[in-house]
Amino acid sequence: MTSTTLDTVAAVEAEARARLAEAADEAALEAWRLGVLGRSGSLTGVLRGLGALPEDERRAVGAAANIAKQALEAALDARREELRRAALGSMEALDVTLPGRPVRRGGLHPVTQVRREILDIFARLGFATVEGPEVELDEYNFGRLRIPEHHPARDMWDTFWFEREQATDPAMLLRTHTSPMQIRFIEQHEPPIRIAVPGRCYRYEATDATHEWMMQQIELLAVDEGLSMANLKGTLQEFARQMFGPERRVLMRNSYFPFVEPGVELSVDCFACPGNNPACPVCRGSGWIEIMGAGMVHPEIIEAAGFDPTRYTGFAAGMGVERVTMLKYGITDIRAFYSNDPRFLAQF
Amino acid sequence: MLVSLKWLRDYVDLPADLDVDDLAHRLTMASAEVDGIHRIGTWDRDLVRVGHVLQVEPHPDADRLRLVTVDFGGDAPMRVVCGAPNVAEGQRIAFAREGVDLIDGHTGKASRLKKGVIRGIESAGMVLSEAELGLSTSHDGIIVLPADTPVGTPVADVLGDVILDVHVWPNRADTMNLVGIAREAAAILGDTAIHEPDEAYEEAGAPIAGTLDVAIEDAALCARYIATIVEGVTVAPSPEWLQERLRAAGQRPINNVVDITNYVMLELGQPLHAFDADKVRGNVTVRLARPGESLRTLDGVDRALTPDTLLITDDSGPIALAGVMGGEATEVTASTTRVLLEAARFDPVSIRRTSFRLALRSEASSRFERGLSAELPEHASRRATGLLVALGGGTARQGRIDTYPAPQPAAEVSLTRVRLDTLIGVHVPTVEVEAILGTLGFEILESDGSKADGTFRVRAPWWRTDIAIDDDIAEEVVRLAGYDRLPAAAIEGAIPEWEPNALLDLRERLRDALAGAGLQEIITYSLTTNEVLARVIAPDDLASLRPIRLRNTLSADREVMRPTLRHAVLETMARSLRAETPAVAIFEAARVFLPNHATGDSAAALPEEREHVTGAVAGVEIDRWGRAGDRELDFFDAKGMLDAAFGALRVRVAYEAGSEFGFLPNRVARLKVGDTEVGILGEVHPDTLAAFDVDRPTVLFDLDVASLLAVLPERVAVSGVSRFPAVEQDLALVIDESVSAGAIVAVLEGSPLVGAARVFDVFRGGRLPEGKKSVAFSIRYQAPNRTLTSEDAAKEQAKLLKRLEREFGAEQRT
Repeated sequence: MTSTTLDTVAAVEAEARARLAEAADEAALEAWRLGVLGRSGSLTGVLRGLGALPEDERRAVGAAANIAKQALEAALDARREELRRAALGSMEALDVTLPGRPVRRGGLHPVTQVRREILDIFARLGFATVEGPEVELDEYNFGRLRIPEHHPARDMWDTFWFEREQATDPAMLLRTHTSPMQIRFIEQHEPPIRIAVPGRCYRYEATDATHEWMMQQIELLAVDEGLSMANLKGTLQEFARQMFGPERRVLMRNSYFPFVEPGVELSVDCFACPGNNPACPVCRGSGWIEIMGAGMVHPEIIEAAGFDPTRYTGFAAGMGVERVTMLKYGITDIRAFYSNDPRFLAQF
Repeated sequence: MLVSLKWLRDYVDLPADLDVDDLAHRLTMASAEVDGIHRIGTWDRDLVRVGHVLQVEPHPDADRLRLVTVDFGGDAPMRVVCGAPNVAEGQRIAFAREGVDLIDGHTGKASRLKKGVIRGIESAGMVLSEAELGLSTSHDGIIVLPADTPVGTPVADVLGDVILDVHVWPNRADTMNLVGIAREAAAILGDTAIHEPDEAYEEAGAPIAGTLDVAIEDAALCARYIATIVEGVTVAPSPEWLQERLRAAGQRPINNVVDITNYVMLELGQPLHAFDADKVRGNVTVRLARPGESLRTLDGVDRALTPDTLLITDDSGPIALAGVMGGEATEVTASTTRVLLEAARFDPVSIRRTSFRLALRSEASSRFERGLSAELPEHASRRATGLLVALGGGTARQGRIDTYPAPQPAAEVSLTRVRLDTLIGVHVPTVEVEAILGTLGFEILESDGSKADGTFRVRAPWWRTDIAIDDDIAEEVVRLAGYDRLPAAAIEGAIPEWEPNALLDLRERLRDALAGAGLQEIITYSLTTNEVLARVIAPDDLASLRPIRLRNTLSADREVMRPTLRHAVLETMARSLRAETPAVAIFEAARVFLPNHATGDSAAALPEEREHVTGAVAGVEIDRWGRAGDRELDFFDAKGMLDAAFGALRVRVAYEAGSEFGFLPNRVARLKVGDTEVGILGEVHPDTLAAFDVDRPTVLFDLDVASLLAVLPERVAVSGVSRFPAVEQDLALVIDESVSAGAIVAVLEGSPLVGAARVFDVFRGGRLPEGKKSVAFSIRYQAPNRTLTSEDAAKEQAKLLKRLEREFGAEQRT
């Protein structure tokens, strides 16, 4: 009888384990639990029957039954975990290529982006950003820049003029360049000066693929003791390298602006071709891309601001933001910028 | 300016194997920009050669054709068929043999010359016209070359040329001519030899003295006036070589007298004027116009003269606009035999003013206005008078009338070694400085530049009117030494003190915040019209604003400086919606221009330029699949975007109901921080939208950056986070339509125990009476120092409810 009872425990446990392996979901597990460990479960029945056994047998069978109970409870947990993992593994697969839920995306105009990029580069070189008026006095746009009325250099800047309400009103115009801010700033500050002046400029000229009547320029002005053309070259080479790549070189050639002496035009070597591809859309085979006019601040301008031109020298430079943007992105028509087509703007 | 290299070679020895691209590059680097290189005569050197017409026979089968036997320097002469009427025995002509690519004289298209049989006669070559060589479209006759042209020479060497299109700087009056470019080329190539044009001529006539006097009333306007007289001139076409040169420079030959004045202007840069001396009455006076004077100019136009017009006059009155245009009465005509030749130095400002006012800008005025040397007229006068004698068959009167009241000495300038080295940033050795200045024609008066404190004292050549200060000399040195000599050096000095600019910073942060909130930045033009502005600005406001207006416009839609960005945003909205975009959210950050209409003080005359950020939202909601959904974007979509942007700036903006021109009534919020209005948000009036062709409801906002800056907290106020749990309670209130949810929220959030209150539902209709709405609030009760129980929250809520009942007549909805 004793052996039979111990055998019964073993048989109940074995049968329960076999059925547990067949239980495939939570309901089956619960049915199994009730059938084995529940009030009328098979193992519970064995434990209930213990009272009828003699003392020594009862102890041995009871111990065996309790071990079996713990083992089966553990087996239940293990089976449940097994089933949960299996279920996670067999979840319906996501089509990860389906689109995400749309979130509105805004963006900055490409000219704003490049304008910031340029100003950031010059900020790292110590040039603070300042801005000046777009509606200017003739005096600042031309006169104090050594371009008096009837100077032939005025032909370099086709100008929008404002009507005068009275004959005594000063001549007002839309600034043709950011250079007037050179004068406005140097009148109010002491050297050392290092500024970058971004802003809209306007030219009274017809629009085509490379000319807009409204454009953005960035002007540089540095005034200090001992500044030279080599500093101008170094500063603009550093700009070219940060903007267009670390291998860039700059080329200076003679030019003329009445407010600088000497005056130069600055080019960067082509970053789109080795410099000899006649079909290159960026340099057209010349190997060089003109990006700005520059020069050493004319000593009369330094003197007019109240500083000793034999002690202080300076350089100035100006570049077109649209032009740099066109070069950077390979855009061939400047008119794309201010027609604001959403399909164009969304690409930047 | 067009520069023929063939012509240029008269003045400077260019190497026979000149690399034209290299010369153009070096001129561009150092002197003047070469915009283009036009090569004329790239014909095959073997197949297109100078031929000698040995024999001309009639064609047996065609009256208009001839058989021409040509010696072209080959093994044997060749007989070809030729249809040109002007072919004759003994001529030197341009001859092509089969296989060469030419231009078909009839069609103007490229074609290869092939052996052909013309009316039964085989022909394997061709006597060429200008058309076939592409020199012109003239197909009337063959080119007849000078009789001394060597037979067999490649035609490319005889007729070929390279034309440089040179853009000269406004300050370099001296380079606006062939000799000037020759000087630059010589200096660049390191060869100083310049062959000056021949100024010598025989003065075979009677002395000029006594024939006329020249008086200058104001030497500031006319520094010098030289008159010469050539008699017995025959007005006729110029010789072919001269005509060819004028054409190469882009000018049209007229007659020998006029052509000579133009030729010398192109050669030396001095504009000249030829009068018919028989029509000039009495003496010449250079003076300003007097009241009531007028002049009929060469172009047949009667011109009333303003008192600032500089004139050449004779005893009868004005005979020419000085430096701008001659008068019809004294014009050289076919019957002219006595020529009075004027070579003068006029004031550049006077010339420019007159030529602009009369819209008579010319090759002459563009040279005068750059400021020519007063020495130049003497050279040009001699040169042109000599050519009139040589080419016009005339006899020059002896001497010249030269009125030069105050001779202008050449500039003398000192440049210290210290200045030179400081300015250019590289040490150019003294011998090199001297050599450079020497090749450019500067006279070195003193040079101890090899000493650290040394000085170069130089005298500028007479033609260099642009040289005035030491830095001008430094530029001469560096442009010829080469800018590639300059090192690229970092600035060594201290970085200047940084001046923060809060307004620009805020504008840029707003840009970022709005882009982050889903809006696309646009950039639009600053000019518009009052008609467009009238759609977004109330008539009275626009009238008192009076936007400043341009005097010269490119097009009728750009007349005034915009005092708002609203129209521009709506214009772009219309175009964007048409670009098949289901939803558009755009903004612009730019200045608006508010006129001051102040007079007197020049600074006060400028308009106020205020930074605005203006945007608009329209279209439909995008569904889960990115498609256009059904719901139209509305006020609250735009408000959500703005709040996201304000959230990024950590500023809380209150929306107060208001009204605004161009918007729907009752659909406008004024944006306030405290008492300061920072902007506006509202639904645009359908009439306004229609005026801009916007075909969807549109919400527009307009922020004033400076106003926002004024109320922007300098630093965000940070408070501790309560570690005690919050209790959420809902409260539904029935209130009058006129009570805003925001007012209730303000009361709720005023409680020290309320962390936050938010609206979560608005309901109208149902059992609610007309004029009432139900608004539900979710209120988060929290205390900084203790755990609130739901009883605490209920007690506080009861208190708040009482207050809301009292202040707003609110009733709790049950």
